[in-house]
Order: sequence, then structure tokens, then C-alpha cells
Amino acid sequence: MADEKFVLTGIRPAPEAPPPVRPAARRDRPILAAVILAVIVLGCLGCELVMTKDPTYMDLMNYSRPPDREFLFGTDTMGRDIFSMIWYGGRISLLIGFVSTAISTAIAILFGSLSGLAPPWLDSLLMRLAEIILSIPGLLLVVLIQAALGEATVWSISLVIGVTSWTSVAKVVRTEVRQIRESEYVVASRCMGGGFFHILRRHLTPNFLPAIMFMVVMNIRGAIVSESTLSFLGIGLPLEVISWGSMLSLAEKALLGNCWWIILIPGLFLVATLVCMTELGNYLRKSANRRQSNL
Amino acid sequence: MSDALLSIQHLTHCFRLGKKQVLRAVDDVSFDVRPGEIFGLVGESGSGKSTIARCVMNICQPSEGKIFFDGIDVCSPKERRAHRKLLQTKRQIIFQDSSSSLNQRMTVADIIAEPMSIHHITPKRGSCRAEAEFQLHYVGMDPSYLDRYPAELSGGMRQRVAIARALSMEPALLVADEPIASLDVSIQAQIINLFKHLQEEHGFTFLFIAHDLAVVRYLCDRAAVLYHGKIVEIAPTKELFSNPLHPYTQALLSAIPIPDPRRERARPLRVYTPGPVTGQLAEASPGHLVLREEEPG
Repeated sequence: MADEKFVLTGIRPAPEAPPPVRPAARRDRPILAAVILAVIVLGCLGCELVMTKDPTYMDLMNYSRPPDREFLFGTDTMGRDIFSMIWYGGRISLLIGFVSTAISTAIAILFGSLSGLAPPWLDSLLMRLAEIILSIPGLLLVVLIQAALGEATVWSISLVIGVTSWTSVAKVVRTEVRQIRESEYVVASRCMGGGFFHILRRHLTPNFLPAIMFMVVMNIRGAIVSESTLSFLGIGLPLEVISWGSMLSLAEKALLGNCWWIILIPGLFLVATLVCMTELGNYLRKSANRRQSNL
Repeated sequence: MSDALLSIQHLTHCFRLGKKQVLRAVDDVSFDVRPGEIFGLVGESGSGKSTIARCVMNICQPSEGKIFFDGIDVCSPKERRAHRKLLQTKRQIIFQDSSSSLNQRMTVADIIAEPMSIHHITPKRGSCRAEAEFQLHYVGMDPSYLDRYPAELSGGMRQRVAIARALSMEPALLVADEPIASLDVSIQAQIINLFKHLQEEHGFTFLFIAHDLAVVRYLCDRAAVLYHGKIVEIAPTKELFSNPLHPYTQALLSAIPIPDPRRERARPLRVYTPGPVTGQLAEASPGHLVLREEEPG
């Protein structure tokens, strides 16, 4: 051994640190969350196959029945089968989640890129505008616009949630664009004559998409929550349109009637979906960070 | 001169550093680039080489002066709009850092085809992909690289891809902003030979920016030496290297190392004392202009 012939004096032997364990990409994949979410989404899409009853049929003989063999999750105060309503209503909830997120992401990307590429005065004007909208409580804004639009439908709710939830994503997009726009490939593309939309589509979006992916997934979640909140408050979807939110809006009656299943079961599905989405979003955020550090 | 492809006249570009401080990065520079030649711009860091390139490409708007490309005044927004397509296709730029001038998330085929897709030009060779393959072959790369991402290529290959992208528009003028500075020596030689080949066989015109004098000597037909934003000497390369007249050029040339240790050690090194550069370009011999101090009186 070399150590025996040659000894360094005056060094302080440090215990050999174990090599840092890098978490394998496979290990923290949210498989459970993905499976649960897939089951819920597929069940909602194919609700005709899953449903045991007609979710809109009011069986007045069997109202507020606790879960049993016929009504798997019980019935609500109007005698509708909760098991069928969950799958049927999930469609609407998820649809609202996706549509409003698509709307808000589109606005955010356009607004953020415009602000990021704009000269300083326009940039600060647009950003202050976004901050003003951001500073108004979201729910208040939603209630206001919904009141102006009148009768709530699935599309109007999606639109209202969409146009009120883009600001934070837009700010992230703007910051990313500020960084990317100085890169030489954007300059080169400008020299070759690439316009705003060309640069946005080919250069900016692919590069900032990983950064906003997490927020986009969180927006789907937020939109589902907003819809539920609105319906719970009674300004969202009317009772006859079944969604998770409108099911929860029966909660106060259910509390009086001591029927836990009417609140708990739709609530459980809602929470499960949200937790799974958060999990997936977190994974996306982590993997985006990892990929960027490898560049 | 009407026969020049690129004519720069009294170009001045100032950068605002603060409220009062102004940096004259390029100061009253004039030169012509003739069709089919490689014109070199040499100078130390911060002497304004890249700023000239950026002004030529309309990335920067010059404070004063005019730039004519093929008779079009590229500094006037009106003329620029009228000849937009011609300017965007016939002038192309190659940047120094190939890793940042190529989008990391696009494949080589997409990168090379980008100018074609911007201008909706139907490629000569059928599809964009076939065109990209042709251009890639043209700069000496295998078509198997078409589906690679820039991060998977070496520096020299990335620079070739950047050159292929510029060539795909068949430009009349290529502005090469230190295209070889970030490459190692053997790759530099390949790229230089590629440039030489492009000029000799296909008659491309280059505005070649470098700080490596040996490269300029080998490649360029004419060269201008920049110092603090001013041209101190402009001459055919042979003339410039055999008979440098301005003290800065002399000092610069004396700094070229000689690949022979004995002669290298004996080489006299001239030191240029930096001072304010003033005066006017005066013709020393035909085509050889030197910055001369104005004689008082």
C-alpha cells in the first residue's frame, strides 16, 4: 500500500463521506397517483358502462338511503343514485377543469410572451395589469363575471374560471421568455425573418413549457375546486346539472339529515383526484428541473 | 463604389452606459466588401467587431452612418420593409457560440429547414428534409445526424449545422461573427477549409470576424484592423502582413507566435502604448489605407 511508505503529516483524516445517492428517475415516479387518476378519468369518460342507475332519475321511494347493495354509495336527498352520479358528474368536473385550463394557459402564453418580448415600458404596463388582476381575490372576480354573464352553463363556468386564473402562469412565462429571448437562436431566427408567432411556436414554447407544466396541472386542479366552490355557494351549475360541485352543494341539507355519504363520497373522489394531480404536477416539476440541470 | 456588395459608410454605434456615459463602440467606420471576397475584421476584444456585424444584420440600429447591401440602405426602415424578403434571405449570420445559436429542443433537420419554413419556400429538392440532408452533406456531415439534437453533437458539428442553416437560403453575404473562436484547433481548420471551399467553388461573399491573425492571413482577401471602434488600417491581406504601417497593426502582428522555438524566443515583441486614436484614413499605396494623425497646420 502506498500509505505505508508515504504518510502525510498534519492532515486531519475526514471520514469518507458516502457517495451522494441520486434518486433514480424511476423510483419517485408517481405510479399510484397515475393509476388512481387514470381509473377516475376512464370511469368518468366511460360512465355509461360503469353506472348502475340513471343518475338523473329521482327515485322518490328511496331518498337518503345509506350505502347498500342496490345503491352502492347510497342516494341523495332527491333519491338519485350517488354511485352513478359520481361517474356521470365527474365528466363535467373534469371537462371544466380541462377547458378552463386550456383557456387560461393560452391567455397566459400569449400575454406572457408578448410582455417578455415587448419593450420595457409595455412590459411593465402589462405586468402591472396582470398584478392588479392577481391582487383581486379570484373567487370575487369569478362571482362578478359569472353574475354579468347570467345563467351558468358548463362553458360559461369554464370561460369565467379560465379568464381569471392565467395571471401567475403569465408571470412565469414572461420571466422565462426574458431569459430565452437573448439567446442567439432567437436573434438568428429574427434575422431570418421569423415573426412573433413563429418564434413563439418554434423557440419559446418548447423551452418554457417544462417550467409551466407544474402550474398548468395545478390549474386543472384549481379549476375543479373553483367549480365545486361556486356550485357549493349556489352560484355555479344548477342542481340538475350533475357535477362533483353540485353534488356537494347538497351538503347542508345532508348535514341536517345526518347522511354522511352524500358529502363524504363525492368529497372523497374530489380530494383523490386533486391529490393525484398534485402528485403528478410535482413529478413534472422535479423532472423539468432535472432535465434543465443536465443541459 | 457601386460594385460593392456591402458598403459601410461612416458607421457609428453608441451604447448608453448610464445617463451621461456613452460608449462609442464603433466610431466612423467605412469599408466596402466586394462580391466574392472574404473580408476580414480583426481587433482585440471590445474593439467593435461584433457590433459592426450586428449593425449589418439589423440586430442593432446604428446611431449614425449608412450601410448599403446590394444598393439597399438597410438602416432605413422604409427600404428595409420594401426589400424585407431579399434582406432576410440574402444576408445570413453565423454566431460564435454554436451551442446557444441552435435551439436545444429542435432536431438538426428542423434547424436547417427553419429559414425555409419561415419564408414558405418550396425546397428545390422536394421536401424540407431532403433539402436539409443536402445542406448537411454540403458542409461535410453524414445524413444520419438529421434527427439528432444539438446537445448530442460536438462543437465543430454544431457550427457546421449553423453554417448549413445559413447556406440553405443561398445567401449572397455571410456574416461570420467569430465562427471559429470557440472551437479547438483541428476543428477550426476544418471550418476554415469549408469557408475557403465555399468561397472558391461557389463564390460566397464573407464578412469574416476574427481575432486570430493567422486565420485571417490564410483565409481573407482583404482585412481591416479595428482598434477602439476605429479602423486603423485596411489593406489586402498580403500587403497588410508584409508591410504593416500603423503602430497598432505592427504590434498586433508581432504578437503572432512562430512555430519554431528558436526563432520564437528571438522574436522581437513590439508594445503598443494605447492612446487616443484620432486622425483620418489616408492611402499609403493603392488599396492600402492607414489611420494617420492629422498634421497640425
